[in-house]
Amino acid sequence: MKKYGGWAGKVLRVNLSDRKISIEDTIEKYRDFLGGTGIGYKVFWDEVLPGTKPFDPENKIVFAVGPLAGTGAPCNGRTAITTLWPTCWPKALIGTGHMGGNFAAELKYAGYDAIIIEGKANKPVWISIVDEKVTINDAGHIWGQGIRRTTIELSRILGSEASVAAIGQAGENLVPMSVVMNSYSHSAGGVGAVMGSKNLKAIAVRGTGGISIAGNREEWERLIKYHLSLLGANNQHVVPNSPQPWAEFYDPASRWLASKGRAWGASSPVIETGPCDPRDLNRIAYRTNNAAFYLGEIAWKYTVRGSGCTGCPIRCHTMIKIPSAAAKYGIPEIGMNTCGGLNFGRSFFRNFPDGMRGLTNVEACMVGMHMADDYGIWCNYGQLQRDFQKLYYEGIIKNKLGEKEFKSYSWDKYEKGDPSFLFELLPRIAFKEGELGTALGLGTGAHLERWGLSESEWKKDPKLNYWKMGHPKHHSNEEVGQCGVIINTQYNRDAQCHSHTNFVRNGLPLEVQKRLAEEIWGTPDAVDGVGAYTPMNVGKARMAKWSLLRKELHDSLSLCNWMGPWVASPLKNRNYRGDDTIESMLYTLATGDRKSREELDLIAERIFLLHRAITIRDMNTKEMRKEHDTIPDWVFYDPQKRPVYTKGTIHLDPKDMELAMDMFYQEMGWDRTTGAPTYETYRKVGLEEVAKELKKRGLLP
Amino acid sequence: MDTQKDGYETTEKGLGSLLEARFMSRRDFLKLSGISVIALTALNPFIARGGAGPLIIMEQAKGLVISEPTRCVGCRRCELACTEYNDGKAKPSIARIKVGRNMNFGPKGLYASQNGQGNWGNGLIIQDLCKQCPHPVPCADACPNDAIVVSPPTNARVVDKEKCIGCKMCQKACPWEMMVFDSDNNKATKCFLCKGSPKCVEACPAGALSYVNWVDLTREVPPRIAQVVVTSPEKGSSCNTCHKKR
Repeated sequence: MKKYGGWAGKVLRVNLSDRKISIEDTIEKYRDFLGGTGIGYKVFWDEVLPGTKPFDPENKIVFAVGPLAGTGAPCNGRTAITTLWPTCWPKALIGTGHMGGNFAAELKYAGYDAIIIEGKANKPVWISIVDEKVTINDAGHIWGQGIRRTTIELSRILGSEASVAAIGQAGENLVPMSVVMNSYSHSAGGVGAVMGSKNLKAIAVRGTGGISIAGNREEWERLIKYHLSLLGANNQHVVPNSPQPWAEFYDPASRWLASKGRAWGASSPVIETGPCDPRDLNRIAYRTNNAAFYLGEIAWKYTVRGSGCTGCPIRCHTMIKIPSAAAKYGIPEIGMNTCGGLNFGRSFFRNFPDGMRGLTNVEACMVGMHMADDYGIWCNYGQLQRDFQKLYYEGIIKNKLGEKEFKSYSWDKYEKGDPSFLFELLPRIAFKEGELGTALGLGTGAHLERWGLSESEWKKDPKLNYWKMGHPKHHSNEEVGQCGVIINTQYNRDAQCHSHTNFVRNGLPLEVQKRLAEEIWGTPDAVDGVGAYTPMNVGKARMAKWSLLRKELHDSLSLCNWMGPWVASPLKNRNYRGDDTIESMLYTLATGDRKSREELDLIAERIFLLHRAITIRDMNTKEMRKEHDTIPDWVFYDPQKRPVYTKGTIHLDPKDMELAMDMFYQEMGWDRTTGAPTYETYRKVGLEEVAKELKKRGLLP
Repeated sequence: MDTQKDGYETTEKGLGSLLEARFMSRRDFLKLSGISVIALTALNPFIARGGAGPLIIMEQAKGLVISEPTRCVGCRRCELACTEYNDGKAKPSIARIKVGRNMNFGPKGLYASQNGQGNWGNGLIIQDLCKQCPHPVPCADACPNDAIVVSPPTNARVVDKEKCIGCKMCQKACPWEMMVFDSDNNKATKCFLCKGSPKCVEACPAGALSYVNWVDLTREVPPRIAQVVVTSPEKGSSCNTCHKKR
């Protein structure tokens, strides 16, 4: 057989029930699905029967990376984890979580592209992977411990270079809103309790091997430098957020925060970011400061440095040092995270004594990070905190809790914005203590059901961001109009797709974006200004298809879809063009398997369709348009009752959205009435066997 | 292998486990022998080119990669550039710059507890780099096959792959653990300064690495391990010609 670069070549299968450890050949079995979510979906289609529930031993967990993980391709640090999603409601369906950190690279260096976990251990265990040596070990001494302690204890056994992916008490206690976490701050939501249900505390990996690059090494070096030259800041924002000497444009909403005069103030001594001219590849790491992006200017003086995944020059995790939080709350003075993890603690609160951009806000982040990242609690993209605020301020918590339990919380502290309130709340979620802790840990869908609340109320509230099936929107009509809405209908959890938002939010003026859009999607009309939408057109449907396929491609190759695709760049001399063929060039040179952009997109479509097929099979209906691809009412509602397409509004017209779904299904080659892919569509992407199986079950249109 | 080992005299300096003491001993040695070293430098052409005698590296390196730990963001792109662009594979375990091993808990590993460095400590990530040592070059002197040689134009100390027999003696000799061993070809490798444009320096997205004129860092950077000094009898006796006790 041909020898490929990129892939490690082996997939590890660990059965916790009979403690059998076996090896499969990645190329032979999974090459047509690349890696990552591709391997995950393939395993679930082939091996996990419909009707299986998340905590059944028959459910599996697939930790998978792709051929680019662990290489020098920029932004390759994410591990895709596929399982039956415990917060997907009312019926658990397939979902994926993605964690960054060092786990993906370390797994590859150990010699594996994926780990398939199956069965259930009869007592707590952890899996040790040191190159070819794999063992299942007793976890008695770490069961009951937080993620931090677990990592330390296992690092003592495997060495300080090991990467440990562990669950905390939340996962152990089968709290659906729980994470698996590695490398201090990198988590994947939803997976914690599935690991807990298998009595699996952690997977610790140490790898000393290498990944061969199939192509010519000078060519590889040139390609990497070329790719680096197209990078923006986090989320591929390609203009700075303030005027810089090198920049033609700026956008205050950009995550490219570096500027003359801004500095990592808690570094010793202080380090100024400087203006970060995009042509200077030795300054990429200074462009992004997500602590300052989320918490405001105050965060600069507390910034120690940037942090993030192996191999990624964009440091989207920010390390901050808050001595006052350590003094007041007895937590470590240094912490790091990004986005949901960074904002975890503060998002519960509506007010802080010193305002929403003050020090208490930052301290609440520190308390939240240290607790949530140790107990392993998930925020469901902020839905946990949005639900909590609504339930409290509308008096629902008071109604649903017994008086004794209600009074056991210091609600005065909560209302004032005292971060110490988190010490009362978060442990009760992790340990399922009391009605409130238990209910919040279920995730929105099951929580509403438990309290007899109506999901349709949640779907009406524009402030809640709730979408469907227990999960919120993730970059929808607030940024990308109809295209964003289409994307948010497609998954069984929040969509986690960034291809579309990374383009429209890149900071370039609309006329530049429209010029690029014409090159990529054939029409400048594919993009509108944010909050200045126009009626649906075929360009938007093409953009939606492209966005979804690139997401799956990235999740399978191990490129970060929080950063890619790279179709726009900060380079004026390129007319701000990026390169839509970066993925295929990286794949081709790394693996030695020549694939054009179109060929890779076809594989991505295969992977995306397999996700669709599993969802159809497990829901046992082809009526996807009606029963799955739903849109919450708030999308069509403007609190000020302005007409649709008024500048400054984000709401859309229901009839136009019906047309949008028609056009999207047509682009995909799916049946418009049901929203189910046709036999021919499956066949075209190489999934004829899948089509035959669905036909047998009466699930083809 | 065994007979080969027996052929060399292994002299472990009996300084116990105190790294600091061992480090000091090297410094003391350098101080004491300063005059002799200069004398030996004068003889250098004879020793280096003579062919008859053992290889003793006398030329100073011309360049050096230095680092600024407060700038390091722990992305390990330096390690990847080192191995991908030079070896055609992503293999940090053979990178000639070392970041990963200090990244989580710092150079003292887990045993520094709360006072540690790295992502789990105070955030500081130390990049370990080859010092391109002046004479006596520990790795080169330890090599039983004279496989570590000076390579112009940088005068980096480099492993001659043809000569390397994979015995790992050099690994034990480097106090900073900068010799790495590639299990794929059973050869040692070390920083060779990429002909004067080090890939790691080019690759650092935080400007934490610089290529500078050589300076002697052997006196500045504390060692990581207790060095095992191994010298062949031939080398030992050639030392004696210059370092005779007065």
